Amino acid sequence: MLRRYLVRRLLVAVPSLLIATAIVFTLPRLIPGDAVQLMLAETSYAKDIDELRAKLGLDRPFHVQYVEWIGRAARGDLGESLWTRRPVVQELGQRLPVTAELALYATLIALLIAVPVGVLAAARQDSLSDYVVRSLAILGLSVPGFWLATLLIVLPAIWWGWRPVTGFVEFRADPLGHVVQILLPAVILGVASAAALMRLTRGMLLEVLRQDYVRTAWAKGLAERAVVIKHGLRNAVIPVITLLGTQLPQILGGTVVIETIFGLPGVSRFLFDAINQRDYPVIQGVNLLVVSTVVLVNLAVDALYAVLDPRIRY
Amino acid sequence: MPLSRRDLLALSGGALAASTLRPSVARAQTPKPPDAGARRGGTLSLRTWDPPHFDPFQTISYKTHIALSFTHSRLLKHKAGPSVVPGTFVIEGDLAESWSQPSETTYVFKLRKGVRWHHKPPVNGRELTADDVVYSVNHFLTVKGNANAYMLKSVEKVEATDKYTVKFTLKEPFVWFLDMLANPLAVAIVAREVVEKYGDLKKHEAVVGTGPWMLDAYRPNVGLSFVRNPGYVLAGLPYIDRVEMTVDEDNASRISAFLAGKYDLGWEFPGTINRTDWVQIKDTLKQKRPNLKTVEYPSAVMSHLSMRTDGKPFNDVRVRQAMSLAIDRKAIIEAVFEGVGVLNPPVPAALREWSIPIDKLGDGARYYRYDPTEAKRLLAAAGYPNGFPATMCFTTYGSTILVDSMQLVQKYLKDVGIDAKLDTKEYGAYISTCFYGKFDSMTYGPQTGFLEPDNFLFGQYYPDELKNQSHINDPVVADMLVRQRRTADVAKRREIIVDIQRHLARQQYYVQMPSGVYIGVWEGALKNYAPSFGYDYGGRLMAAWLER
Repeated sequence: MLRRYLVRRLLVAVPSLLIATAIVFTLPRLIPGDAVQLMLAETSYAKDIDELRAKLGLDRPFHVQYVEWIGRAARGDLGESLWTRRPVVQELGQRLPVTAELALYATLIALLIAVPVGVLAAARQDSLSDYVVRSLAILGLSVPGFWLATLLIVLPAIWWGWRPVTGFVEFRADPLGHVVQILLPAVILGVASAAALMRLTRGMLLEVLRQDYVRTAWAKGLAERAVVIKHGLRNAVIPVITLLGTQLPQILGGTVVIETIFGLPGVSRFLFDAINQRDYPVIQGVNLLVVSTVVLVNLAVDALYAVLDPRIRY
Repeated sequence: MPLSRRDLLALSGGALAASTLRPSVARAQTPKPPDAGARRGGTLSLRTWDPPHFDPFQTISYKTHIALSFTHSRLLKHKAGPSVVPGTFVIEGDLAESWSQPSETTYVFKLRKGVRWHHKPPVNGRELTADDVVYSVNHFLTVKGNANAYMLKSVEKVEATDKYTVKFTLKEPFVWFLDMLANPLAVAIVAREVVEKYGDLKKHEAVVGTGPWMLDAYRPNVGLSFVRNPGYVLAGLPYIDRVEMTVDEDNASRISAFLAGKYDLGWEFPGTINRTDWVQIKDTLKQKRPNLKTVEYPSAVMSHLSMRTDGKPFNDVRVRQAMSLAIDRKAIIEAVFEGVGVLNPPVPAALREWSIPIDKLGDGARYYRYDPTEAKRLLAAAGYPNGFPATMCFTTYGSTILVDSMQLVQKYLKDVGIDAKLDTKEYGAYISTCFYGKFDSMTYGPQTGFLEPDNFLFGQYYPDELKNQSHINDPVVADMLVRQRRTADVAKRREIIVDIQRHLARQQYYVQMPSGVYIGVWEGALKNYAPSFGYDYGGRLMAAWLER
């Protein structure tokens, strides 16, 4: 049943992907100034502009370009960067691991903070620890990541003359240095997500803990840990997982600033530069990747429901 | 670039040649003796910018040219080091061991023997010959999309007369020819095999030169590593083994990295720190990095207001003079340069050998005052008692300083009745239109910080030149511009350039804005280094060493 559901969902995802790619294909071309104009901005030779446009295939009708691109993308060919002339797939292959690692760490950190703290706050509702945790959550939601990042790299430099490593440390060159380098930006990204997840965990758990079957569990004399974790949390966690799924695009979006501040060569910074340079194949490739990731993550979230709650069947 | 009298005295003995002695005089650079106390080794750390690509003939981007200044040689270069005053550009040989000028339009360069390409494919350390220079110059002049090709447009032909001799024949006398060759924006000498192998030079694998360092690694968005070229033609140089350049796009990150001692030069171009940042961190730096060295010198980057002088209302000199009088330049210095800046005549004050102080501009000096009352009077006399509407083309270049100064200019113009509506364009659109004079009314923006006056003058004032933004067609100026290009005698040429500036001060074809003053900053352990203008980071560091 689950397999049939997943196949059905995948088929439904195809039009979503097509619509998303059409939007992604269109929007960059609506920004004033095109790639060729930027590439030849320094020379301003009208004849060269037309020639280069023709050479890059940008002079053809919009729909022809789109159909050709989507056809090549389906075969795994995302074209070449207009600036570096390197295949987009190759460029993405270098950068994706950095962003994926950052997003993974950030998500793990968010979960590690949010779930235990949310459970604690719910289990000790209206206690001092609950107030403290809720206040911290609001703070976490309110503090912009870039501001926190700026403080975390500037203040240690002023106080102790220390700052995180400049330049990206490859894992194979220095595994520990690499993890340490990723950890600080991951914490910053994770904190904001953790705040939202924590509040939801607390709220959902409070609702579940008021259910009759929980009262029954208490009446049976079960230990608090068993009641809260086994009976409560398991039933409260589904909306949290849903939120986690929707947080992923936010984390990916948030990495643009964080990657810039920490000098990490990830996909987000690549996309940012590509937008500035109107590097259409790169913009399209990165966005296709992000859209596909979001679709797949949501699919995974749906599949996870059935694992977490045996009552859910597809 | 000519030598000043002080330079000539300092260089007595003729060890070093300048560019503008009499024709037919042979110039030579004696082999440089090892610097006293110089040490080999160490790693220098710098902040850099991610190059859009690595083809020097396809971009004017400083990001590319700074990177290639470490790896590529030119025929000539600018002398560097503590003895060079920032803003002066003494020419010395790079690949050229000596050169002569048999006639006004002929230059002959003798190449150093034993120059070898980096040990990288496809050249694998073969010897550089005159054919490589000829190929590079022809490629520079003919390849599509080279915005710098104009620098050598005086060249009629270039030929290799033997394995180590290159002869240039010019179409007409052009006394700035050697300055153009020495400019890091002009011909980086490249190998034909590399161009043929890669199609162009955009990929980092194509970074193969004969310069003091070799590109060891390029990590997009992360940085570049250069390693000492053991086969560099000047024995013993460079002294520094590795140069690590980090792409750092966030100012807070740069500040913290500098405070923590991660960068050996100021993080802004060209090895400086912006005054706004400097004011905030200088006290902390005194404690954290007490050995830092600093030197201040004016920037050659100058913004100006250009206008369509080929039509109303800007074809009336009184209108242009009124616009200049309407601008409070000192207030702009206070507001955007933390109170430290210089006023610029048509040749920026930074080019100290060629620029003249405002008070020496003669009659035209008065138009650099702030006098809105006189501005209104002139406007009324020109038939615009209530001013007039206008548009001002602009792009931000991502600079808050530029935006601030533009807003002040707009406000000052409005105060005298000139209502300049802002026409903000995206960078690419701006460069391809307004920067090259394609606008209806006015444009405001910075100009490239050239290293000699000809680019500021001929390029911007000669009829039909690409960068003649104000569409000037003034026969008096045109005549003087051509004459200075043909005057080999430095003193006489300087007189002409002074006359040009005086004439232009009266005409106000462009309204020049003040420039900031750079704070060049470097680690005290870096010896035999001094900051200057231009993209030639590699040239300035070639004979520097580290003591730490």
